[in-house]
Amino acid sequence: MRDFTHTDGSTGLTTHPVAEMYAREHKAGQLDRREFLVRSTALGLSAAAAYSLIGADAALADGHRSVPAAGGTLRIQQEVRALKDPRTYDWSQMANITRGFLEYLIQYNEDGSFEGVLLDSWEANEDATVYTLNLRQGVMWNNGDAFTAEDVAANFVGWCDSTVEGNSMSTRMGGLVDPDTGVAREGAIEVVDDYTVRVTYPEPDITLVPGIADYPSAVQHRDLIGTNPADHGVGTGAYQIADYEVGVSARLVRNPDHTYWGDTYLDEIVFVDLGQDPAAWFAGAEAGEFDMTYETVGEFVDLFAAIGWEQSEVTTAATVVIRPNQNAAPYDDVRVRRAIHMAVDNQVCLDLGINGQGVTAENHHVCPIHPEYAELPPQTFDPAGAQALLEESGHADFEFELISIDDDYRKNTTDAVAAQLRDAGFNVTRTIIPGSTFWNDWTSYPFSSTNWNHRELGVQILNLAYRTGVPWNESGFSNAEFDELLSQANGIQDADARREVMVRLQQIMQEEGVTIQPYWRSLFRHYSPGIVNAGMHPKFEINVHYLGFSA
Amino acid sequence: MGAFILRRTGVMILTALCLTFVVFFLTNLFPNLEKLAKTQGNARMTDAEVVSWLDRNGYGGPLIVRYGEWLGVVPGWTREDEATGEITGRCIDFGMDPADAPTRCGLLQGDLGFSTVSDDEVGNIIGGRLLLTLKLMGWAFGVMVPAALLVGVLAGMREGSRLDRSLSTFSIASTATPEYVSGVIFIVLLASSTAGLSPLLAEWGWIEGRTLFLGSARSAMEDGITFWNFALPVTTIALYGMGYIARMTRASMAEVMTAQYIRTARLKGVSFRNIVLKHALRNALIAPFTVIMLQFPWLLTGVVIVETLFNYNGFGWTMVQAASNNDIELLLACSIVAVFVVLVTQLISDIGYVFLNPRIRIA
Amino acid sequence: MEPLTWSGSFGAFLNPLMLAAVVAFVILFLTNVVMTFAGMRSGDFEVNADGTLVYQRTPMDMVLTGMKYAVLLFVLCCIGYIIGGLTLPTIEQKGILGAMAQRLLPVWIALVVTFALSITFKRRLGLYGKLFDSPIGMAGFGLVMFWIFAAIFSGVFPLVPTHGAIDLISQMRNELPGTPLPNPDDGEYPYYLLGGDNLGRDVFSRVFFGAADVLKITPVATLFAFMVGITLGLPAGYFGGKLDTILTFIANLALAFPVILLFFLLVTPEIVAAGVPQYMSMILFLFPILFFVVLFNSRFHTDPTRRNILVGAAIAIGGVLYLSLISNPSDPDLPLLFRLWPEPFDLFDIAGNLLIVFVSVVFVNSPTVFRIVRGITLDVKTRDYVAAAQTRGEGPWYIMLWEILPNARGPLIVDFCLRIGYTTILLGTLGFFGLGVSPESPDWGSTINEGRRLLTIYPHPALPPALALMSLVLGLNLLADGLREESLKD
Repeated sequence: MRDFTHTDGSTGLTTHPVAEMYAREHKAGQLDRREFLVRSTALGLSAAAAYSLIGADAALADGHRSVPAAGGTLRIQQEVRALKDPRTYDWSQMANITRGFLEYLIQYNEDGSFEGVLLDSWEANEDATVYTLNLRQGVMWNNGDAFTAEDVAANFVGWCDSTVEGNSMSTRMGGLVDPDTGVAREGAIEVVDDYTVRVTYPEPDITLVPGIADYPSAVQHRDLIGTNPADHGVGTGAYQIADYEVGVSARLVRNPDHTYWGDTYLDEIVFVDLGQDPAAWFAGAEAGEFDMTYETVGEFVDLFAAIGWEQSEVTTAATVVIRPNQNAAPYDDVRVRRAIHMAVDNQVCLDLGINGQGVTAENHHVCPIHPEYAELPPQTFDPAGAQALLEESGHADFEFELISIDDDYRKNTTDAVAAQLRDAGFNVTRTIIPGSTFWNDWTSYPFSSTNWNHRELGVQILNLAYRTGVPWNESGFSNAEFDELLSQANGIQDADARREVMVRLQQIMQEEGVTIQPYWRSLFRHYSPGIVNAGMHPKFEINVHYLGFSA
Repeated sequence: MGAFILRRTGVMILTALCLTFVVFFLTNLFPNLEKLAKTQGNARMTDAEVVSWLDRNGYGGPLIVRYGEWLGVVPGWTREDEATGEITGRCIDFGMDPADAPTRCGLLQGDLGFSTVSDDEVGNIIGGRLLLTLKLMGWAFGVMVPAALLVGVLAGMREGSRLDRSLSTFSIASTATPEYVSGVIFIVLLASSTAGLSPLLAEWGWIEGRTLFLGSARSAMEDGITFWNFALPVTTIALYGMGYIARMTRASMAEVMTAQYIRTARLKGVSFRNIVLKHALRNALIAPFTVIMLQFPWLLTGVVIVETLFNYNGFGWTMVQAASNNDIELLLACSIVAVFVVLVTQLISDIGYVFLNPRIRIA
Repeated sequence: MEPLTWSGSFGAFLNPLMLAAVVAFVILFLTNVVMTFAGMRSGDFEVNADGTLVYQRTPMDMVLTGMKYAVLLFVLCCIGYIIGGLTLPTIEQKGILGAMAQRLLPVWIALVVTFALSITFKRRLGLYGKLFDSPIGMAGFGLVMFWIFAAIFSGVFPLVPTHGAIDLISQMRNELPGTPLPNPDDGEYPYYLLGGDNLGRDVFSRVFFGAADVLKITPVATLFAFMVGITLGLPAGYFGGKLDTILTFIANLALAFPVILLFFLLVTPEIVAAGVPQYMSMILFLFPILFFVVLFNSRFHTDPTRRNILVGAAIAIGGVLYLSLISNPSDPDLPLLFRLWPEPFDLFDIAGNLLIVFVSVVFVNSPTVFRIVRGITLDVKTRDYVAAAQTRGEGPWYIMLWEILPNARGPLIVDFCLRIGYTTILLGTLGFFGLGVSPESPDWGSTINEGRRLLTIYPHPALPPALALMSLVLGLNLLADGLREESLKD
């Protein structure tokens, strides 16, 4: 591997040829700052270096976190779910709790940059097939072992093991997984020395960094891969679980027998589970039962602001899809799916579903904030045409059952879709399933709505949700051309080059009527005044190590 | 009396057996088990995988045998993994040597089983939750019963008077206001910082916090009960229940007030106050006593609504969670408790009725 | 367009009057309380020396009279709003109250006709007529009939609602009462009288469609519960013995089940998928047929021709309805048993969720009815007329259905009214937990639950259904009270 880079030894790369190209694009106005940060830090640049490349004040990079006073107890409103093997996490909430002691190699920041946590730095070769990960030195596990390259390698092997039921990391590992055996490819993960790991892909892949910054990629001790962290509590972080009552609350306290490698401020963090009803959260806030929300939705954004809480907003690629499952009749007929598309005006979904707090989307699940987003001609809203198409397909008498979860914005959006379908002459019934049971078979409902979290790159979402046969492919979409183009896009590091392929991918999504994907959400979080570093994160992450009360 | 209690206890146990079997049957219907397998295992299991998962985790046997296992009269299932030779079983805890495990572990052995959603022993969960609910119910009863008796006696002592008519209308109105209506109205009026009284009071500087009362009772669980966090849930439960008791008391009081001995006392010139307090009251309270005891099971529904509305993680809330997640053994434990409450209150009401009423004697 | 005011142009002088009435009432009420505590009493009759009676007026009496007039004034103002609504030409002049009163015109006409007819002929109408001697009973009857007529004129003839139950206009979400539509089509009602809910549907229309939904389910469900309870309770009380022991045990079993747990066990998609509601309805809905067959058979067994006609008709009509009800051949998910009945004869299908709600409500109510009927039977069977019938050689079923039952009707009718109210509350509870009839249904429980979420900012979508539910249940309770009072006077 040729070394393109000049590391400064502590915070990652200072430059990279591709990053320099991005910097030029940014200066030419082709790339906004967020996109520039996402792309250049994904290549291994430190945020400070990235900022300096575009001539911005590097203090901005450090300035996104201020230093709070030491001590205090912070209460966070968030669901407390039963923990399990981190690879199989399906809720960011689980990771927010375990992040107190199970840390990550890399974290994704609110401003779109990547930052090393257990990694000191990382670099990619030119065609993004070989990644070198340099570990932070001096990190200890709280059982007394040192954190070494063996730990990282063992975790990579664990993440690649697609034979584990529900392991969502294996999809994120992409080419590292041998499709024949279902486990890590021979020689894909090498321990170079105690603090260096090299990861080699058979073909170019740019999703490694976002993949290992995602919430199921918590780093476990090398001997404890595949175990439930609640059972052993071994980690590198500063905290330990004191109480854990599913559905009620969880309490983290500072681990007195462990020396943490970084800085941390709070003595105690309590996660308060107030269920899934935002009205209950608001009642809890008025009753002073917590200091910070996990997420504030809909009308409650204004309400929380009205009671004097600080508001933090972030625009994301988080969304809701209302998708037919193509494995179920009549949704296997593309005319029916197209008719559904034509009957729904995404603006109405945005207004009714989330109170206009977001921007409309174009039903292809690639967001304008994604670097590779390609602009397509606007879609037509044509209820009359929809009706004609539906009649042509011969399913005009079919009773469409539209399923959603029983909560605020997802239900409202789905109701709005149902009403518009009815206006276009569809025979629609609505089914609402309580949150506790909805997720049991969310991927197999014939026609239902699902919320999707923010992903850093457009291809990531397409890989997770629309590739043939992947576990989260809830629309039952299977298209050979799509799969092939997607694999191609996965290997194109340059976003502009990737966009050429994305145009077609996005078109296929629209032509096939895979899903209604009406809007991109802005996410909000509120916290009572005086709390530091509690800003909303596009992926709902809360890192308890950074939180604190203002000095 | 002893034989009577013994017979009632026998019937009680039989009832409890029948009811738990019904719950067991309904929660173990195949679609429910399928849901359980998919939640616990993997949402995308095929039908064959579901069956094998159920088999592997002891849900495969005939229903009646599994019910026996849960009761603890049939030995718990054990299963040897063909590949690894590892023995798993109902009574074998994680990391326990199969040889040391007891053969039976069920209700009779004091083992309530394992909650699949909370990932914990049912016994560990349900105790604390019950205690929380007992506190709530205790306060609700403490408010409801005296208030209802007072309203009933005041209304019944002069039947047809203006006081009677206004109090009776009040009690009818309170029985027509279910918890989910009164609860939300209370929250708007008293515990919202944007509507109702609280913003006014805060503006005038009469209250320190944001709202007069707290619209969430969660702080009562950890920081102890205060007037401000418990008043609304308690009032909400008490209001709906009290109308019924008050009307029963009124009817009973009105009947007593027309009795011969009261008329005699009146003619003797005993003051009205003494007639009510010394002569009428005791006899008038026999009938309401039965009603009050039978009110306990009714409270349960109210408790479930109120605990959900006010975020109080007690027994009612646990039951809702268990039922909606098909957490079989937790739900069974909940139904045992619920059935126990119903039957014991029935028994107490029967015994108490006998004790209070000198006209009834049981051989 | 400007939003409507609450009281329209009549409000200019009616509002101050109404406010004055309320203020006067509150002041007088407080004075009354103070006076009571101060030991003052209302006046009493005093006998004069010449034998005439004189009523001594005290300040207390004056206060009470004042309160009475305040209430009267308030009621007159309310009537004024209604008249204003009916007479003033434009919606803007009518105001929200007036416009609602005008939409409810068919209900007013029906109510006035009902009351006029009933009061004119009340001496010939038995217990029903006596109801009009009791002000409480009349108030209750008025409230109940208001909702019944409102339900009929919304569900059957949609004259009252201004918009559809699930039509939404996205600009109208959470808009306040009296907001005009952004660009109404011709013939469309130009206002949302009680505002829009959080999906932009008309609250006013949904409350009245909700009334139709609620009143479609609850009385029928209660009626079924009564048929089950009566069919089982009469023999249990009359025969006693083993039959009684077993039936009472089963009833106690069902009663020991906490209602809410039962609902959570029954009203879930998995249980519906397993066909449990079908099996339960198969058993429960058999009772009404049984009831009518036995009823006709015992009465006319001496007259075989009439007996055969009536029993045959009961079996034929009941049977077709029964089979249509429980089976649904077009649903392939159901067990084979429920798909045997041929499609052409399948008159109607009931959606799984509605059926399970219905069945659960019947199941919860029947044991209580059973206990009441059994208790009354135990009491009535010792009466002389029962002994007389026994000596006449009448069969047991004749005695039960044609001697005991008619004599037990008083308490049963009273309980029926109370129970409809209770069922309404129960249905609301189901809606509250999201187990209701259907998620978009305008029934009151579901709308309250939906509105509850935004209650603190927008109380207007949740309060109307809450008040509607309260007033209907209150009406039923008052009606039951009035009936009880009047039937006790017999």
